[in-house]
Amino acid sequence: MFVADIRKEFYDVVVNQRVALLVSSDIDALCACKILQALFHCDQVQYTLVPVTGWQDLGTAFLEHKEQYQYFVLINCGVNVDLLETLQPEEDSIFFICDTHRPVDVVNVYNDTQIKLLIKQDDDLGVPSYDDIFRDDEGEDEDADGGDSGNESDGSSEPSGKRRRFDEGALERRIERQRAKREWEARRREILFDYEQYEYHGTSAAMVMFELAWVMTKDTKDMLWWSIIGLTDQWVHDKITHMKYVTDIATLQRHVSRHNHRNEDEENSLSIDCMRISFEYDLRLALYQHWSLYESICNSCYTSCSFKLWSMNGQKKLQEFLADMGLPLKQVRQKFNSMDMSIKENLREVIEESANKFGMRDIRVQTFGVHFGFKNRFLASDVVHAAASLLENVEKDESATDNFIKALDCLSRSNIERLHLGIDLAKKKLKAIQQTVASCICTNLILSQGPFLYCHLLEGTPDVKLFSKPLALTLLCKYLLKAFVFSTRNKRCKVLPLIMAAPMDVEKGTVIVLGIPPESETSDKKNFFGRAFEKAAESTSSRTLHDHFDTSIIELKMEDRGKFLDALITLLS
Amino acid sequence: MFCEKAVELIRELHRMSDGQLPAFNEDSIRQVLEEMKALYEQNQIPGVLLELIPTIKFRHCCLLRNQRCITAYLYDRLLRIRALRWEYGSVLPTTIRFHMCAEELEWFNQYKKSLATYMRSLGGEEGLDITQDMKPPKSLYIEVRCLKDHGEFEIDDGTVILLKKNSQHFLPRWKCEQLIRQGVLEHVIS
Repeated sequence: MFVADIRKEFYDVVVNQRVALLVSSDIDALCACKILQALFHCDQVQYTLVPVTGWQDLGTAFLEHKEQYQYFVLINCGVNVDLLETLQPEEDSIFFICDTHRPVDVVNVYNDTQIKLLIKQDDDLGVPSYDDIFRDDEGEDEDADGGDSGNESDGSSEPSGKRRRFDEGALERRIERQRAKREWEARRREILFDYEQYEYHGTSAAMVMFELAWVMTKDTKDMLWWSIIGLTDQWVHDKITHMKYVTDIATLQRHVSRHNHRNEDEENSLSIDCMRISFEYDLRLALYQHWSLYESICNSCYTSCSFKLWSMNGQKKLQEFLADMGLPLKQVRQKFNSMDMSIKENLREVIEESANKFGMRDIRVQTFGVHFGFKNRFLASDVVHAAASLLENVEKDESATDNFIKALDCLSRSNIERLHLGIDLAKKKLKAIQQTVASCICTNLILSQGPFLYCHLLEGTPDVKLFSKPLALTLLCKYLLKAFVFSTRNKRCKVLPLIMAAPMDVEKGTVIVLGIPPESETSDKKNFFGRAFEKAAESTSSRTLHDHFDTSIIELKMEDRGKFLDALITLLS
Repeated sequence: MFCEKAVELIRELHRMSDGQLPAFNEDSIRQVLEEMKALYEQNQIPGVLLELIPTIKFRHCCLLRNQRCITAYLYDRLLRIRALRWEYGSVLPTTIRFHMCAEELEWFNQYKKSLATYMRSLGGEEGLDITQDMKPPKSLYIEVRCLKDHGEFEIDDGTVILLKKNSQHFLPRWKCEQLIRQGVLEHVIS
């Protein structure tokens, strides 16, 4: 059931209770969790926070806590399957789900008692109406109707004749009803198929939580910053369309101006240590303020693909670009903070102008930056990259929950060193992605399988451990597809989606398989691979694990790879 | 040299300056007491010989010094044991209990009783637990993170919380203090 007034129906209900928070492992969920934690601290709501990485984790966590807690809040997990069926809770457990995954499972929508969805109803959902899917009169009794119609029929002199006519009439009506029922069921299947075919994402969970805070006028700049990071995470990992991103940025911009307007004054200017959030129309270069400009240009998806930096030609074009802007190589290669002030002053405009000449029209993007203390300036995308790298840190052999805690910590302002550590890891990750993309393109590792493109990362590839994690693999996939589209001459291949496989667990012999929709300017980011993977796995009885909350990411046994792919090809042709 | 054993005892305590209680050094104390007995007996010679007066005085000083050292040792240990009550609560970990001798345990129990009687006499009917909140608390509830699997944990209103590694909880401060001292939970400051 959709919650109409999030404050009355969610917050006021849980404020006097103890709550279990089950949070999925992505940055948007972390941000939403931080906002909700801050609200709970204000009101002293006792809670327990449990990180979950997949359906199995969710099930285990639920089993462990179901005796002690009645109210569960699920963040970015649980809305796209029939939750009551999966978890089998008691009658009195109540679930509040704030999830960006769409489509929302119809059972979750129409359950009035146990499932409350913290999702705005106008959020582009297209849920089929109740009557189209559920039918109350399932157990229609045909015999009773036979008796019924008997009363309506005209009288006839002979009892046997009468009965025969009754039977005929009743039989006809029964056949008619059965036919109607079959038709209804066929239509229902079709409606459900259309509804559940494509997977996509809705409004950021962090933004929903921020709105809750705003409605209660308990919002702070920290919460606003976290909601900005949540939205930026959706954009960085390509979960929402550009239109939606711009619309949501406008919403947040109103909040930012409201917060800024309140504090800054001619006489009462804020201390330099206070947090200031500002709207920036900044460059699309990842981490450029914490790196050198040159490195950032080489390792950002947008610029690297536009220049085709894996080829010699591309390198030359990059040099031309830098020369066109009048930036000496020596300056551009050193740390951004140490660049000459004269260069840094108009950098964005200069780059934008030159980028237009080289065919990159969208090198600037609307985003927000934060600024506290003399040293600390971060753009939202910087924090997203840092947190994502910490969340999927493979350098030390730590468990997923350890990494979750570290990533959660780095979002607080008091843990700047952790954020810097995350930024360093992110730099390594971006470099690894760039090198892998370059090698894949140069060695033609991307094969066209007909209805989709396919790329398999072999075990010996450098940094392949990084890509056993979903977020990193998503970035790699997106980057690779974009690079491929720029580098290929084959017009047909440019509109194909991409499936990527990378080794996940060497001991168990599994690979992680991920599918993304085709690359296009006006892509609506709707992904049909979730259902496709399910069907292909079923038809070939491959050993797969659909554990991730995004149905387009699965784990597959290496040996079953061949038949799985064949099944997919047949399915999608 | 006389009194060396006694000074050893003092040094032993001085080495553990952060309030830890080392094992009760029964042996050393016995040796010091024997030394004192020997000195005393040596001093009990019949008659007073004028030439021996400095020796007698010297032995007497040694006796006094030994006495001071032993009483200092015992007293310092008692102070540490008293601090343990404030740190660990009324049940001491077994490791620490092994380090105390029987009389010290007796003293500890008596101290516990006096403290309990005093606490009961404060604050109206139920008494007031003054060993809680040694520093003024900033909030009623604190956020804690679980560092190791501790199993189930019951709080005041009967509800049970499962303490699993890396889960975070927002719990009343007074329930968490014990576990924070034991190292099971970690206070998260954000």
